Amino acid sequence: MALTEVNRPLELPVSPLANRRGLRAGQRRTGILLLLPAIAVFAVVILYPFLKALGLSLFRYTIEMTAPEFIGLGNFRTIATSGEVWNAFLVTAIYVLFTTVGTLVLGLGWALILNQPFRGRAVLRSFSLLPWVLPSTVSAFIWGWIFNARFGVLNAILLELGLIDYPQAWLSTPQGAMLAVVLTKIWLSIPLFMAFFLAGLQNLDREQVDAARIDGAGNWAVLRDHVLPHLRPVLIVVVVIGVIGNLQQFDTIFALTGGGPVRATTVLSIEVYKQAFEQWDIGFASAIGVLWVATLIAPAFFYLRMLVKGA
Amino acid sequence: MAKLELHDIRKTFGEVDVLKGISLTVEDGEFAAFVGPSGCGKSTLLRLICGLDEITSGQMAIDGEIVNDVPASRRGLAMVFQSYALYPHMTVADNMGYALRLAGTPKPEIRQRVENAARILRIDPYLDRKPRQLSGGQRQRVAIGRAIVREPRIFLFDEPLSNLDAALRVDMRIEIARMKERLGTTMVYVTHDQIEAMTLADKIVVMNAGRVEQVGSPLELYNRPANRFVAGFIGSPRMNFLAVSGVTPEGQMVVPGGRIGLARRIPGTAAEAGVRPEHLRLDRPGTEGSLSGRVVMTEHLGSDTYAYVQLDGSEQPILVRLSGERLVRREEPVGVVVDPETVHIFGSDANTLLSAQSTAREAA
Repeated sequence: MALTEVNRPLELPVSPLANRRGLRAGQRRTGILLLLPAIAVFAVVILYPFLKALGLSLFRYTIEMTAPEFIGLGNFRTIATSGEVWNAFLVTAIYVLFTTVGTLVLGLGWALILNQPFRGRAVLRSFSLLPWVLPSTVSAFIWGWIFNARFGVLNAILLELGLIDYPQAWLSTPQGAMLAVVLTKIWLSIPLFMAFFLAGLQNLDREQVDAARIDGAGNWAVLRDHVLPHLRPVLIVVVVIGVIGNLQQFDTIFALTGGGPVRATTVLSIEVYKQAFEQWDIGFASAIGVLWVATLIAPAFFYLRMLVKGA
Repeated sequence: MAKLELHDIRKTFGEVDVLKGISLTVEDGEFAAFVGPSGCGKSTLLRLICGLDEITSGQMAIDGEIVNDVPASRRGLAMVFQSYALYPHMTVADNMGYALRLAGTPKPEIRQRVENAARILRIDPYLDRKPRQLSGGQRQRVAIGRAIVREPRIFLFDEPLSNLDAALRVDMRIEIARMKERLGTTMVYVTHDQIEAMTLADKIVVMNAGRVEQVGSPLELYNRPANRFVAGFIGSPRMNFLAVSGVTPEGQMVVPGGRIGLARRIPGTAAEAGVRPEHLRLDRPGTEGSLSGRVVMTEHLGSDTYAYVQLDGSEQPILVRLSGERLVRREEPVGVVVDPETVHIFGSDANTLLSAQSTAREAA
């Protein structure tokens, strides 16, 4: 048989089942179509109010004014010299640091425990999700009672153990109040973090750990050399989600301390709320909000980039 | 280097008895292969030996010391896993040097030992790569390298070649055989592939349903299988079994398609006659002393031709191995010639061997 014969295209009719515009035709259009509802909702609920706030941050707009007055970067100049706003940034930083690190350590520890085979594990796993299920204000009130100076269980336990001599008014001291809001948030976030870690732990190759044990690794070496490196992608996602969530935290702090005592737990979200709905200074509140969003952009950018890259 | 002794090892998972009393000795420097069908307990036994699972009862000794309660990390053994179980986040060099690092070996020494092993296994160009950047065969070499670098007392292999393609498997088999020559370390090798066991092992342990069926050298198992299970498991293609319906006054066994003479007296009632495909011949139908049947299927492998012959009065075809040049037509009536000296005879009670193939063959 001559080679030329082989190289000639096949002169045959196209199957009637063929898709005329190719195998992938229509996929792109379907994708955009499916995105539309989400984009519409995002535009109305998030994008429009954000742009509006961005605009308002350039105006003076208080309760006694009939119309906003354009003052350029005036609000930002005020913020730059305002000790209170800077303090809110500092309080936010402390709050985010302690909640994120605390949740990370405890969530990972709890996940490691719940990943061990033992009787009653399934029940304990289910119960571990409880803080997640409860409305956050309910949790805040539960913790409010725990920290209560006169009836709180925390004081009762510490007194019983002899660690304190008289009841502490936790929520009335700056450190105590910070401790309370941080612990509440950690307690609330552990289930989510734990679920992430548990999922990660469950697809850790068992034979890899077996191999490490045979190679001479004890528990600590297995954790350091195998479990943590395996969880690295999960760890990054969890940290970013945690930082974003903690930067935005409002409800538990508001319910527990209202930002006090004085301004000890006034994070940015509380500060914006106070400026907007207690001082009724919408323009100033918007300006703080814009700066607040700016701090959120960095972790959010990391997170989105990871999602897109599929890391 | 070490001697491994197992005494009445039992393992139960809940209600299930996985190992029902395993006793055997692997001598210092010996290559022992555990073979058996899936679920026979061979991998479980290996996990007990390396200390990943706890022994339910029985004793295990390495080098004359009971090691039942010695954790895996302190047994000084190395294992090559079926899945390779390489550490995905570490480079090849770090994978291979990990055990030494944990043991606190100085870094220059680790590097030197890793490089030596890598050179032997021809993976030295890949020392800085991560496992995912390697092919299946290269990963397997790294897994073996990781075991070699440690200079373990005993090497354990858990079906190390199962994930490789056929050609690579043959190469790696030769590689492991060379390694055995060079290192002379005690090796325990689990496989379901009896060819691997036959070619590599000094001693084969045939396991079935949590028990040891037979222990012996490859040729012992081939020539004198202790029972029907071993006879069927060792040898490829597997042995044909013919039901014996009776023995004639002249001392011939009645089987489908005709009769087979007895080479010698047997101490019991014959239930089945086993003949390996390579010991059968095809001849014209009606040949004196042959079993009559017809060819139902043929397979031409080039080097060999396999003819499936359905004997008269039997449903199950038997396999006859012929030379590759031999052409056989389907539906061709044939006579299958059986040399009585090559027949294994099994009794009905627990399938024990009553008579093995002739020793003349072993002497030859």
